[in-house]
Amino acid sequence: MDAHTLRRLAAALEPGALLTAPEDVRPYECDGLTGHRAVPAAVALPGTTEQVAAVVRVCHEGRIPFVARGAGTGLSGGALPVAGGVVVCLARMTGILSVDLDNACVVVQPGVTNAAVTAAVAAHGFYYAPDPSSQQVCSIGGNVAENSGGAHCLKHGFTVNHVAGAVFVTADGRIARLGGAVCDTPGYDLLGAVVGSEGTLGIVTEVTLRVLRRPEAVRMLLAAFPSIEAAASAVSAIVAAGVLPAAVEMMDRMTREASDQAVHAGYPDCEALLLVEVDGPAAECLAQLESCRTICESAGAVEIRVAADDAERALMWKGRKAAFAAMGRVSPAYYVQDGVVPRTRLPEVLHGIGELAVSYGMRVGNVFHAGDGNLHPLVCYDAAVPGEADRALELAGSILDLCIAAGGSITGEHGVGHDKACSMPKMFSGDALTVMDRVRAAFDPIGLCNPGKLLPTPRLCGEVPGFHRVHPLEAAGLAQRW
Amino acid sequence: MVTAERAADAFAGVVGAGFVRDAGAGDAVGGVMPAVVVSPGSEAEVAEVLRAAARLGLAVAVRGGGTKLGWGAPPRRCEVVLSTARLDAMVEHEPGDLVCVVQAGMPLSALRETLAAQGQRLALDPPHGVAATVGGIVAADASGPLRTRFGTARDLVLGARFVLADGTVGHSGGKVVKNVAGYDVGKLLIGSLGTLAVVTQLALRLHPMPRAVRTVAFQNLDASQAWAVWQAVERAPVEPAAVVALSPGGAMLVRIEGGEAGAEAQASALLEATAPLAPLVRVLDEDEADKAWTYAETCVWGGDPVDPVANLALPRSELAALLGRLEATPHVAAVLPSCGAAEVRLPAGMSPVDLQALRDWVARRGGHLTLRRSTPPLADLVWPQPAAGDVALDLMRSLKQALDPGGLLAPGRFLGGI
Repeated sequence: MDAHTLRRLAAALEPGALLTAPEDVRPYECDGLTGHRAVPAAVALPGTTEQVAAVVRVCHEGRIPFVARGAGTGLSGGALPVAGGVVVCLARMTGILSVDLDNACVVVQPGVTNAAVTAAVAAHGFYYAPDPSSQQVCSIGGNVAENSGGAHCLKHGFTVNHVAGAVFVTADGRIARLGGAVCDTPGYDLLGAVVGSEGTLGIVTEVTLRVLRRPEAVRMLLAAFPSIEAAASAVSAIVAAGVLPAAVEMMDRMTREASDQAVHAGYPDCEALLLVEVDGPAAECLAQLESCRTICESAGAVEIRVAADDAERALMWKGRKAAFAAMGRVSPAYYVQDGVVPRTRLPEVLHGIGELAVSYGMRVGNVFHAGDGNLHPLVCYDAAVPGEADRALELAGSILDLCIAAGGSITGEHGVGHDKACSMPKMFSGDALTVMDRVRAAFDPIGLCNPGKLLPTPRLCGEVPGFHRVHPLEAAGLAQRW
Repeated sequence: MVTAERAADAFAGVVGAGFVRDAGAGDAVGGVMPAVVVSPGSEAEVAEVLRAAARLGLAVAVRGGGTKLGWGAPPRRCEVVLSTARLDAMVEHEPGDLVCVVQAGMPLSALRETLAAQGQRLALDPPHGVAATVGGIVAADASGPLRTRFGTARDLVLGARFVLADGTVGHSGGKVVKNVAGYDVGKLLIGSLGTLAVVTQLALRLHPMPRAVRTVAFQNLDASQAWAVWQAVERAPVEPAAVVALSPGGAMLVRIEGGEAGAEAQASALLEATAPLAPLVRVLDEDEADKAWTYAETCVWGGDPVDPVANLALPRSELAALLGRLEATPHVAAVLPSCGAAEVRLPAGMSPVDLQALRDWVARRGGHLTLRRSTPPLADLVWPQPAAGDVALDLMRSLKQALDPGGLLAPGRFLGGI
């Protein structure tokens, strides 16, 4: 990047808020999908909407690609920089701008963490419903970009159902207001399209979130099943019976044992463990919990425990939440897949995943949001064994094929990003992708805003999606990755 | 200009002569008379019809059940009405998934019947629910009091298939409740009044029929009492499915759904919480409740269809002011306190000056007023005047340009003349 552009970028920001030294920009080379890396020429750390807009205008004038980034916890490479481009890191924009409980709204800057929103209103008996597992560190801006879910979106919905408005910097650096605290904003629901657009349409710099009143009661049970298929059938039966739990989570033997070693949640020994949480008015909760218990019994649960109090409930959750990290005890490395299937297809798809694992001779752990059919198979491998990482990716890809064949989706909450852009044609027709490209062009005609993410580009989609590897075209010097 | 005859011939070649007819008085869109009405029988035919219209340079408006042809501003042009009447099939319904896929022209009443047989429902109660089609409801973003708990179309549509003006068939979302793959183009089509694409198929999130329902009815509340009752409802240990306050008359209906024990306990809790605030309150029996909820819809949407109906949306904290303002008028209004929105039936002879005064009053309180249904002389005032340099409106124009560059889908029906 030329010195003139760098000076202009610096001038758009507070002193010291433009990083350009190699050792300063290196930490931004990847997000949570660490297999993909690219080093940006500069990292901007704006503190205001106007500064973001000014940075974007400089990029727009210089035709420099830019990528917005929050806390960098994303798992699909959505915040992967463009090599030689600009990263607009919103981590310094951590202001909670207003708390308006009369209207059940909180206005925050994008760098505020998910958990901080609830913390800001908890004393008044409110909370922010979407709760991605990374909620202690992940930022609201990232949640908006990815339309993040979490364990409790079964009843309460995803980020898009809780975002009422946003201030949005367009791809050419103008400032738009989308939606707002007042409902029924006239016009197209641009906000609905921007949420979940993975930073490819513009940059959200202020977000109006709806917060909910804490329910009167929250109750939880765990049920131990002799097989993962039996547990999956119980999930289907709960949904079909008209009970809408706040969360339904499942862990298989491998993930449960790993979690038990790590945090000693005291789960019963079983092939599959189901955690069911209900919330709402106390009498309603009690009745729903009873329904869930009966359904689990008929589905073959060998043991059912109801949390007696909040402390026991917290312990049940602790084991679930620790599962991902605990898998490090079981396997030196694993790849987290994120696929969705209709809930009625869970038993057969889980069975299919088991068969795939056997045929690959690899281990796959399952800990996931069963209530909405969102699978997170953890494909275990040892990077030290030649070829095993590649086989893990291949297996993970086959799992996605199973999900699509069952009528599901290639991603429930981690996003398409860089990781799955080339898998989009598995789910969408060429014409459908063209329409999405036209939508993108309406927001960003010259393609500077997080290019190469979300939609497949013919350029490099001949390769297998997954960890970075040198594409044959690159090796031959015929193509360049940026 | 292409003659109506030539257009009809072109469409007959696609859908068969039996499914093209001359337009009649009931086919006018926002008062604009089309020449022909075409009823394609498949998505492929929709695409062919749109390609043919584009070749002939004809503007197209979409019609479902014909209940909301007066919504939006009058289009600048409308030569062709594309009817979805023949796209009325249930494509897929897996009860265990609480998801169904329907063609856009399926009447809501038919969908309700099919779903009820499985103990399920689409948790939307828009006006004209008997004749309206699912596609029309989504394209107009119509909803009713159930949005208190279940939200609007944007919370219930999981996926969409649609055809652009140039015949390109797109789709977005899917048929699972959780899915973040690709742009949610469906969101852009909700409430677009057919100005971006013709919706052909929708995947919908369903809810179980409640096992028990209680309707708690308050009567004769003045504005400040209504405000106090709503605040008590919000703080009480209840999860109401619907809350609506009616003006004039000061009635408020609270619908509680759940299991038998749960619904009963919630109703008791609600009565207890509101006892000091409102003397005239009771739990309605089933028959009374049905009548009360029907009235809540028809008091605004029934009556003479030439009466304009406005959507007012305000910050919830302005609710007391809104109720007070309505109390001082003869306008019939259904207010949804959970979201700060109200549907208000205005007098047929309302002058543009009076409408502007009401709109200004709403705007001063941080809200906005949009006419749902209108007739002259208010038909040109359907949408609020956008602020100069409104970047969001620029983006909407770019979007229209990207998806319908020829401006053939109901041009002028939408905000800002889009």
